Amino acid sequence: MEIRPIFSALMKSRTGPLLVAVQVAISLAILANALFIVQQRIAVSQRPSGVASERDVGHVYVRPLRKLSHPEVLAEQQREAAVLRGLAGVKAVAWTNQMPLSRSGSSSSVRATPEQVHESAQPSQYYVQPGFIQALGLRLVEGRDMTEADVMESDPEKDAEAIPPGVIVTESLGRALFPNESRFVGRTFYFGLGGEQPTRIIGVIERLQTTAAQPGEAGEQSVLEPLRLSTSGSHFAIRAEPGQIDRALKEAAETLRKTSPMPVRTFTRSMAEERTNRYKNEKALAWMLIAVSALLLLVTVSGIVGMTMLRVAQRRKQIGVRRALGARWRDILRYFVTENLIITTGGIAAGLLLALGLNRLLIAYLGVPRLPLEYLAVGAGALWMLGVLAVYGPAARAAGISPAIATRTA
Amino acid sequence: MFRYYLMLGLRSLRRNPALTALMVVTLAIGVAASVSTLTILHVMSGDPVPAKSKRLVVPLLDVGPKANYSPDRRDPYMIQSTYPDAINYLRSGPGVRRTALYGVATSIEPARREDPLIDLSGIATTTDYFPMFDVPLRFGSAWSAADDERGSRVAVLSKRKAEAIFGSKDPVGQRIRIWDTDFTIVGVVGDWNPVPRYTNLINGSGGYFEGEEQLLIPLKAATDLAVEPNGNVSCSHESAAGWAAFLASECTWIQAWWELASAADRPAAQAWLDAYVAQQQRGGRLERRAPNELFDVMQWMDFLKVVKPDSKLAVWLSIGFLVLCIVNTMGLLLAKFSTRAAEVGVRRALGAGRAAIFRQFLVETTVVGLAGGLLGLALSFASLALIRQQSRDLSAVAHMDWEMLATTFALAVVASIVAGLLPTWRACQVTPALQLKSQ
Repeated sequence: MEIRPIFSALMKSRTGPLLVAVQVAISLAILANALFIVQQRIAVSQRPSGVASERDVGHVYVRPLRKLSHPEVLAEQQREAAVLRGLAGVKAVAWTNQMPLSRSGSSSSVRATPEQVHESAQPSQYYVQPGFIQALGLRLVEGRDMTEADVMESDPEKDAEAIPPGVIVTESLGRALFPNESRFVGRTFYFGLGGEQPTRIIGVIERLQTTAAQPGEAGEQSVLEPLRLSTSGSHFAIRAEPGQIDRALKEAAETLRKTSPMPVRTFTRSMAEERTNRYKNEKALAWMLIAVSALLLLVTVSGIVGMTMLRVAQRRKQIGVRRALGARWRDILRYFVTENLIITTGGIAAGLLLALGLNRLLIAYLGVPRLPLEYLAVGAGALWMLGVLAVYGPAARAAGISPAIATRTA
Repeated sequence: MFRYYLMLGLRSLRRNPALTALMVVTLAIGVAASVSTLTILHVMSGDPVPAKSKRLVVPLLDVGPKANYSPDRRDPYMIQSTYPDAINYLRSGPGVRRTALYGVATSIEPARREDPLIDLSGIATTTDYFPMFDVPLRFGSAWSAADDERGSRVAVLSKRKAEAIFGSKDPVGQRIRIWDTDFTIVGVVGDWNPVPRYTNLINGSGGYFEGEEQLLIPLKAATDLAVEPNGNVSCSHESAAGWAAFLASECTWIQAWWELASAADRPAAQAWLDAYVAQQQRGGRLERRAPNELFDVMQWMDFLKVVKPDSKLAVWLSIGFLVLCIVNTMGLLLAKFSTRAAEVGVRRALGAGRAAIFRQFLVETTVVGLAGGLLGLALSFASLALIRQQSRDLSAVAHMDWEMLATTFALAVVASIVAGLLPTWRACQVTPALQLKSQ
């Protein structure tokens, strides 16, 4: 098939094809950027928390309405943990001050040396005791787990902030503190401004997301501090038998309320709920962009169909003449498909530039990362394919025009 | 003539219902996408208290230690005041009213053990909170300045919470047991729901847009009972243990607000703050000597990034989508008008000027625009309803107001006219002689 005659015919009536090319360009620019952002949001929301088989894990929070003394609180914590361990379907129970992804908890700045002006990181502080790593199924990659001997007991009402001598850090926190190393056990660092004594790393876990689960490295910078604290409320991480977590949590809250010697406030949340709540906005944006992308393609396809129909209608007579002169069905079809390919290719070429330009704007104003070229390739491929599909219907109808048309007037 | 063109336009649109429907739907979808995202942005970035937003200011000091100070780096958590500063502002700060507040959460202890607890979250503040933020009271009244002084165990409930606990009758005078202490209800807040919740953006009870203060108690009652803050606490210095030490510490956990007599008093308020800081520095505090800042309501919301970049992103992309829809409609109109060259030729030959043809076709496109606007409005309502299902924060902001309603129509009509300009102009270029000849 000769491209030249098709091209020169296109140049004769430019406006319609030009409008279609503009549509393809705009579609590609938005599509590539939208898909990239969707993919990013989905990737963020699917990052592992570090908790093994997360769907079987949840936590219950319990807080007495009255103020208790330090020994009373510790005794209650022991009793509550024992009660929870006795529940049917509960595999493990561990006291903690916070849970990953729960969007509320403590964090502290840390420094590798006290002289350092700016902190190395702002890790999430998990106050935990032996058994926490097993209950959550965290993966210890270096050093050892904490033992009862590591645990420091503290009364927040009386003691200044307790800093245990040995802690467990995530690999990500280790890297932030000591960027040039790969092994962190035995290294020391400082909490807060680095006032007094350093803390030693006794073990390293592969991963435990922070309470905020921020995007990037910061979302995995956590420290496990072996502490027994008389906090006003207690969180208990619970691992249940497969499929039992919702029932186990409900039962846990009820049992804690019933067995407590005083009125207590409780609430429960499974890790699945925490994850849903944490990523609600990401999900909402992703769905919105997917909806816009789908509509975008629909509108573009309708534009291509409409334009081809118009061109076919304008050239009924020419088509008839060509058919009468011996052009086959296939030749007519090929003519319109080729014409359309020229138009979409032009649109895609402009769209690639437009997509990069839009990405520049998004980088500058909204802090979106640079668009990887794969998205341009995928978007261009999708539009090419859709273009051919869209043109096929009207082109096939054109090819069906009877040669007899040529003999009629107007 | 306008009515004649309108009739012609309607007749022409009826002649090809599929094409007309396609144009109307395309425009409607484009408009609906832009309007729903714009509505959310509009509500999120709206001024929650237009009458006062320039007069209500938040003072903010940098209380961090000098050791790790660099002027180009801001501590993301240092967004509130210390307790000593908040109290000093209350006593002698500038403006006509001043208040301070921090988030609290508790549960009402039931009379009988078996009954469920009722959870409450809200704020500890001072009586000036009510007139400062124009908080209406449905029953009773706010507590008095004397209650603030004494730290009286009194409470104001939100309307919804009061109804949940006491039904629709006036609960003033009733008692609730919270923090192991009896509090007397003195008032119930009426309808008051600013969006965004500018008074308490750094809160522990809901997001920027959704949630309410269910319980309001005097600041001194809360600090006397050592009620821990339910929300952001940021400590940049080592501090001793215990509640008294916490109150005296450099931890920031209270939000301070000043109401100035007029926006023109802001330089005076800034001068007061600078003088206050200078005096504190003589006492050895605030060693960073960072700039002391004041924020009015809109600046404060901007500072706390109430509008997330995601919302702006959504608006940008949906406006891009609208442009696509306009180009698409342009193509469809071009196709439609090009089949009517003969009609234009006859009209021109009979003496109609180009301007007349232009008007005729413009009326026709405007009809398409209006239809697109109506359908777009319906689609916007539907998509906003869908967006409200997504999250509680979005459910508070995805609401159409009159301004956005008008914008929808304007957008649809402008879009259709823009889409119609090129095809209309092309239609005007028809040479009558050529058309007549070919017939």
